[in-house]
Amino acid sequence: MSLFDNPFDAGSRLACSCGRHASAAEHDAAAPDAEALSGQALQTAVMRALFPRDAERRRFLRAVGANTAMAAIASVFPLGALEAMAQEKGKVEKKALKVGFIPITCATPLIMSAPLGFYEKQGLDVTLVKTAGWALIRDKVMNKEYDASHLLAPMPLAISLGVGSGAMPMNVATIQNSNGQAITLAMKHKDNRDPRKWKGMKFAVPFEFSMHNFLLRYYVAEHGLAPDRDIQLRVVPPPEMVANLRAGNIDGYLGPDPFNQRAVYDQVGFIHLLTKELWDGHPCCSFGVRSEWVKENPNTFAALYRAVLNAAAMAASPGNRSTIANAIAPANYLNQPVPVLEQVLTGKYADGLGNVKNDPDRIGFDPVPWNALGVWILTQMKRWGYLKGDVKYKDIVDQVYLMTDAKKRMKEEGILAPADMPKKIVVMGKAFDAAKPDAYVAGFAIKRA
Amino acid sequence: MPLRAKSAVLSALLLAVLLGIWHLATLPKGGPAQAVDPEYAKLMGLDKPKSDGLPTLAQLGGTIAKQLADPFYDAGSNDKGIGTQVAYSLGRVALGFVLAALVALPLGFAIGLSPLVHGALDPFIQVLKPISPLAWMPLALYTIKDSAVSSIFVIFICSVWPMLINTAHGVASVRRDWLNVARTLEAGTARTAFQVILPAAAPTILTGMRISMGIAWLVIVAAEMLVGNLGIGYFVWNEWNNLSLANVIFAILVIGVVGMVLDFLFGLAQRAVAWVE
Amino acid sequence: MSAPFLQVRGLTRRFAPGATPVFEGVGFSIERGEFVCVIGHSGCGKTTILNILAGLDAASAGEVVMDGREVSGPSLDRGVVFQGHALMPWLTVRGNIAFAVKSRWPDWPRARVDAHCQKYIDLVRLAGNEGKKPSELSGGMKQRVGIARAFAIQPKMLLLDEPFGALDALTRGAIQEELTAICAETRQTVFMITHDVDEAILLADKIMLMTNGPRARIAEVVVNTLPRSRTRHDVHHHPHYYRIRNHLVDFLVHRSRLLQEGRGEEAANEEGPRTVMPGLAGDDEAPAPRPALLVQVK
Ligand SMILES: Nc1ncnc2c1ncn2[C@@H]1O[C@H](COP(=O)(O)OP(=O)(O)OP(=O)(O)O)[C@@H](O)[C@H]1O
Ligand SMILES: [Mg+2]
Repeated sequence: MSLFDNPFDAGSRLACSCGRHASAAEHDAAAPDAEALSGQALQTAVMRALFPRDAERRRFLRAVGANTAMAAIASVFPLGALEAMAQEKGKVEKKALKVGFIPITCATPLIMSAPLGFYEKQGLDVTLVKTAGWALIRDKVMNKEYDASHLLAPMPLAISLGVGSGAMPMNVATIQNSNGQAITLAMKHKDNRDPRKWKGMKFAVPFEFSMHNFLLRYYVAEHGLAPDRDIQLRVVPPPEMVANLRAGNIDGYLGPDPFNQRAVYDQVGFIHLLTKELWDGHPCCSFGVRSEWVKENPNTFAALYRAVLNAAAMAASPGNRSTIANAIAPANYLNQPVPVLEQVLTGKYADGLGNVKNDPDRIGFDPVPWNALGVWILTQMKRWGYLKGDVKYKDIVDQVYLMTDAKKRMKEEGILAPADMPKKIVVMGKAFDAAKPDAYVAGFAIKRA
Repeated sequence: MPLRAKSAVLSALLLAVLLGIWHLATLPKGGPAQAVDPEYAKLMGLDKPKSDGLPTLAQLGGTIAKQLADPFYDAGSNDKGIGTQVAYSLGRVALGFVLAALVALPLGFAIGLSPLVHGALDPFIQVLKPISPLAWMPLALYTIKDSAVSSIFVIFICSVWPMLINTAHGVASVRRDWLNVARTLEAGTARTAFQVILPAAAPTILTGMRISMGIAWLVIVAAEMLVGNLGIGYFVWNEWNNLSLANVIFAILVIGVVGMVLDFLFGLAQRAVAWVE
Repeated sequence: MSAPFLQVRGLTRRFAPGATPVFEGVGFSIERGEFVCVIGHSGCGKTTILNILAGLDAASAGEVVMDGREVSGPSLDRGVVFQGHALMPWLTVRGNIAFAVKSRWPDWPRARVDAHCQKYIDLVRLAGNEGKKPSELSGGMKQRVGIARAFAIQPKMLLLDEPFGALDALTRGAIQEELTAICAETRQTVFMITHDVDEAILLADKIMLMTNGPRARIAEVVVNTLPRSRTRHDVHHHPHYYRIRNHLVDFLVHRSRLLQEGRGEEAANEEGPRTVMPGLAGDDEAPAPRPALLVQVK
C-alpha cells in the first residue's frame, strides 16, 4: 500500500534512520551511545516494554535524546498503562484504529506513519480519517469515533475543562510539532508591515482554542492593539483561508502550513513572519487520546505511541524532510503540491515578496508535552477571557499532561525524574515562568477585563 | 422549425457563448516576463505551467476525462474515485430518505385523517420545518455521537417535512366521496388506507418525495463538506483543500447531473401514480 | 300486515347542537321492490336523508329500520350511487367494479371476480371499455360504471343521488331506460333523489315531495298511477301523466314554499305524510286504489 519503503527496513532506499549516513552501520558508529550515557535511568522496565528490540530503542534514543525520551514517556502514561507496559510484549488490545487528522503539516508524524509503515511495524492497522475542521475533530473524539486524533495543543486542555464543549478527560500523548505556522498577509499589504498600523484589519485563525489565536492576539497586543477591539478576528477553516485572502474577505491570517506557503504559491499573499520568530519552539498541534481509552487499551496506546515517536524522530531529522513531503502529499493525505510541502518542511522557501529564505527550524517535531507549555496556554486562555475566575494552572495541566503523576510513579520504580524543559519559554523576548502564571497574566497591559 | 428544435439550438448557442466567455476569461495572461531569480521561480512553481484560479477548458476537459476514466479507483481511505464518492452520498441519501418516508408516511396519514392529531402536531411542525437541516448538525453530533449517523439524520430531518406535509395534505384532501364509497362497501381500515387513500394521495405524496429528494441531494453535499468521510461533498471539500478548481467544477457538474437524474426518476414515478379525474 | 321493507320514523338532522334542523320529523316507508323518488328544492336535505339511509351520516333524532334491523352504519346491503359519480380515477372501469365485488366477496378467486364484473359491465352496456380509466369515459359512461358498481354487490336496496344530474337529455334518457330495465329485471328496491319531474314520473312508483328547508319535511307521497311498463316515448301520452306532472310542478313552484312558511295546508301529521294520487283526480274509470293508504287531493 505504501508508496515508500519503510526507512527502517534493510534494503530501503534510505541508508539509515536519520538519512545523513551512507549506511546504518556508519550511523551507529557516528552516534554517541545514548543508552550508555544515560546509564541506569534507561535500564527500566518501561523503556523495555516500550521498545522491546534493542536496536530500535537505541535508534529512538539517538534521535530524540535520552532526556527528551524519558520526559516524553513519563509525561503521558497513566497508571494502568505504565503497569501494562512493564510486562514484556503486551498484546495490543485493539488492532484496527481510527485516527483523525486535519490536512495540515502539523500532523506530519501521525500522517507519515501510515505511508511509511510506522503503524504497521507496531502491529497496528490504522485508518487515517481526514476531517473537515477542529470542532468536528473535537466532536468525533468525544463521540469515541476516533481512537486517537490530531488536536490543536490547547484543545485537550479546553476539552478537559469543558470550555467550549462538554467536559471529557483527555490525555496529550505527544506534541506533534513545534513552530510551523506563519502570519500571511494579502499582497496589497506588502508595504504595510508594521502591526501598529493594522487597526481595523480582518484576520483569520483556524479555531478559538488554538495557538494561532493566542499567538496572533499576543503579537498584535505587543504592538498596542487590543485584539477584541482594534482588529477583527474570524475563525476560518485552513483550506478556506487562501480563498478568503484571494477574495479580499480577510487581510491576513495566522494559520497552519501548508496554507501559508500555498498562498505564496498561488501568488495571493506573502509570509509576513514565521511564528518561530515570535516564540521559537512553541507547540502547535498535539496527538491526543481520551484518558478512558488509554486505561482500556494500554498496550495499544503504547504501540501507537511508539509508532508516532518513531515517526517524530524521523521527521526531526532535516535530511528526511523531502521524503516525508512526498509521502504525505497525495490526495489521500494532505492533497497538496509536493513543492509547497517541501518548502514548509525543509524551510527553504519563497516568501512571496521575491526572496528565497532558508530557515531549517521553520517546523520542528519535538514530541514532548511539557507542562510549562500547557501552563502558558492556560495563561492566554485566562488573559483573553476564555477562562473565568481563579485558574488552578498547575492542577489542570498536571491532570491533562499527567507529568507529575508519572514522575511520582517513576520515583517509586526507581527511575530518575526527567530533566526540565530544554528550552526556556520566551515569547517575543519576554520570558515565561511557569511557576508564576498569575503574575504573568497580570503583567500584560492589554487583556480582556 | 419545430419549437423543440428551436429551443435545442438556443440551448446549444447559450452553451457555446458560456464556454466562449470561459475560454476568454482563462486565457493565459501574457504579462511582461519579470526577471526573477530562477530558484525563486522554481519554489513558486513558475518553471512549470500551473493553473491559476479557474482552469482553462482544456484543463477542465482533461480533469473530467481523467476522473471518468477510472471512477472507482481506490488510493487509500481518504482518496477514492468519483463513482465511489457518489455511491457513498447516494447511500446516505437513500438511507435518510427511506427512514424519513417510514416516519412521514404513517404520521402524515394520521395527521391527514385526524383533526385531533393535526391540531396537536401542527405547532411542532410549523416550528421545526423552517429550521435549516444543517443547523441540526451540531446537536446531532452531540446527541447521536456518530458523524455517519448524524449526516443520515440530517438527510432524514430535511426530507421528512415535505413528505409529511404533502402526505397529510394529500390524505386530508382525499375526496369524501371515495371514502364514502369505501365505507358503504365495508372496506376495512387497511383496505381503505392502501387501496383508496394511498392511491388518491399518491400524486401529492410523490410530489412531496420529489421535493424531499431534491433537498436531500442539496443537503448531503453540504453535510459531507461538514462531516463526511467519503462522499461527493467530501470530494469537493478535499479538492477545495487543494484549491483544485478543475476538480471542484467537475464535482459540481457531477452533483448537477446526479440531481437531475434523481429528479427525473421521481418524475417518472410521479407520472406512474398520477391520475386525472 | 307485515312491516314495510324500509321504515323511517321521526328523522331529524341538525348540524350543530341547538341549530335549526335541516329537516325535522321525516317519516316514510318503502316496500320491497318499490322504486321511490324524492323531489325537493336544492338544499332541503335530500342528500342528507340519503346519507342517513346509507349509514354514512347519523340522524339527530329518529330511526331507520331496514328489513327488520336498525340502520346504524354503512353496509353492503345498501348500494349507493353518489351525486358525483365517485369513481376512483386511478382504477379502470373493471378495477372500480372489482373493488366493490372484492369487498362483497373477499374470498372469490380472481377469475370469478372478473366474470362477475364483466356481467355488470355488460349489463350497463360498457363492454369494450373495461380497461379504460374514468377520465377516458364520457359523463354518461361514468355514471353507468357507478350504477354497475352499486348493482354488482347485489344490495338489498339501492340509493341513488341525482345519478343523471350532470347528463345531457339524450344520454340521460338512454340510461334511465337501462335503469328501469335493470330494476325490473332484478326487482330492486330503489330510493332515488332527482330534480327532474319527468324522470320521477318515468321511474318511480312513489314520489315523495319535500318542503323547503330549514325544518323541511316530506309533505306528500304521490303515487304514480301510470302503468309500470312505461317508456319515455309513450309516457306523456297517458292521461294521468299531465295531472301528476302538474301536481308535482305546482308543488315545487308554490306549495313547497307555502308549506315551509307554515301557511296553506296543515302541518305533517304523526303518521307521516299523506298519500295522494293526482293521476286519478277526476278520472272515474281509474281503478280504485287501496283505500286505507289514500287521501284524495282536494
Ligand atoms: N356537513 C354539513 N354541515 C352543515 N350543514 C350541512 C352539512 N351538510 C349539509 N348541510 C346543510 O344541510 C342542508 C341540506 O343539504 P343536502 O346536501 O342534504 O341538500 P340537498 O337537498 O341534497 O340539495 P341538492 O339538491 O342541492 O343536492 C343544506 O342547507 C346544507 O347547507
Ligand atoms: Mg344533494
